[in-house]
Amino acid sequence: MSDILAVRGLHAGYGAGDILKGIDVVVPRGEVVTIIGPNGSGKSTLIKTLAGLLSVREGEIVLDGARLNGLSAPQRVRAGLSYVPQEYNVFRNLTVYENLKIAHEFMGARSKNGAKVLDDELLALFPELPGKFRTLAGNLSGGQRQMLAFACALTIQPKLLMLDEPSASLSPKYMADIFGTIKKVNSRGVTVFMVEQNAVGALRISDTCVVMANGRVRVTAPAAEVLSKPDLQSLYLGDARAQTGAS
Amino acid sequence: MILQTAFNGFVSGIIVTLPALAITLLFGVLKFPNFAVGSMMTLAAYVVFALNVQLGLPLTLATAIGAILFGGVLIFIDALTFRPLRERGSITLMVASLGLGFVLENIARLAYGNTARSFALELARPFRFLDVRMNREQMIAIVAASIALVAMYFLLTRMPIGRAMRAVADNPALALVRGIESPTVIRWTWFIAGVLLAVGGVLIGMDRALEPPMGSNYLIMVFAAAILGGLGSPLGAFVGALIIGIVSELSTLVIAPNYRIGIPLCVIALILIFRPQGLFGQPHIRR
Repeated sequence: MSDILAVRGLHAGYGAGDILKGIDVVVPRGEVVTIIGPNGSGKSTLIKTLAGLLSVREGEIVLDGARLNGLSAPQRVRAGLSYVPQEYNVFRNLTVYENLKIAHEFMGARSKNGAKVLDDELLALFPELPGKFRTLAGNLSGGQRQMLAFACALTIQPKLLMLDEPSASLSPKYMADIFGTIKKVNSRGVTVFMVEQNAVGALRISDTCVVMANGRVRVTAPAAEVLSKPDLQSLYLGDARAQTGAS
Repeated sequence: MILQTAFNGFVSGIIVTLPALAITLLFGVLKFPNFAVGSMMTLAAYVVFALNVQLGLPLTLATAIGAILFGGVLIFIDALTFRPLRERGSITLMVASLGLGFVLENIARLAYGNTARSFALELARPFRFLDVRMNREQMIAIVAASIALVAMYFLLTRMPIGRAMRAVADNPALALVRGIESPTVIRWTWFIAGVLLAVGGVLIGMDRALEPPMGSNYLIMVFAAAILGGLGSPLGAFVGALIIGIVSELSTLVIAPNYRIGIPLCVIALILIFRPQGLFGQPHIRR
């Protein structure tokens, strides 16, 4: 199976110092890959750098054979890289319909959609959204906002869907829903690369686990292996397991 | 008397709506208060004056051509003045706008001197409706501003570039990852602001006289309208301008007209104390 994303020797950061200090990671086509690690390990910085919100200082990002270095964030979107930020991931002063319309107009949506902002696949995934079309996105609940952000990101058929802590600040009900939705999206052929603090919940739907610390990749292992071995869990997941109450 | 004064205030307000909308659009997208808008209106009005009086074009055509030209001029001014400073923050851009305001006003002064001028517009007899005296300039102002406002509404809600402008104003980082090219949005914002300021400048020039400080004289009123409505909210700019216009004019029934300028200043002070986000603005969240 070929890799959809290959990151080699990536350095990036804010100000003078590097936060990412030579990241090497690959995402195989069709998989769900989850990055875990302690706060400050550089997980979100990595995903923002891939999205084009931070400059690459050194290294290379290759998406489906095409080099992304030097492309702006909008150009990366049109190259097939869709990104859902952790928070503030919808335009709060615009309606649900306008959020979807913008995604449809500017992200390079498939022409088969025509003027419809949600195609049949997205309608099946997010059946609540049409009933909220005229609602301001800022007035949605946390879970509904996350669903809207997902729907916007999936308006194109992305080569890679990147999610920054999709379950952050969601209620337990929506937390289960969100992982179920990610799995459904993946089963439709979308490769997923996510950062997640809720390590156990995320790894249950993942193929591969990448552990980061201090701006470097420490371990890459099959998610099932990490979940099945208590010693690996305590080593890689640390407190995350206790926080989520997972057994 | 009250009805007449309120009508005059309504006209003042609707004229102010256009520059207030320009300020609020520019603030929404570029995140700085542009104090050069007064002088920009002045310069735009002189561009239309040149087309109307010096080249002999009818005022409507001169305004249309002047507005499009001035939209382009503002894109050029942005590239020269603000774009190199964009990464330095809103205070730097605000100070730059103050300096730019002086420069633009004095370009107008250099070209046309301090003498008050007027557009080539035939005199017309005022008419009365419900005991309110209305002159032709006032009717033109109401019609022109209403057309501009409806056009703005359609632009912002029905056209992709308008939605993109609102998206960038709402969340610039998210706009990037939704595929919106912010340089394109910024250029369109300057162009539209240029059109609004040109029409606003012409309406002020018709209402008063064409002279270098004409735009700056309106600056406090324009900012009061935008702040009252909520900086960044187009609907707020409209409502704020009408309230400021009518209240300022009605205040002349109880205070000397010379002190009228104190009303918008009081409104700015009160709104900043009690509702800093304005009537329609969103509370600022420090991220």
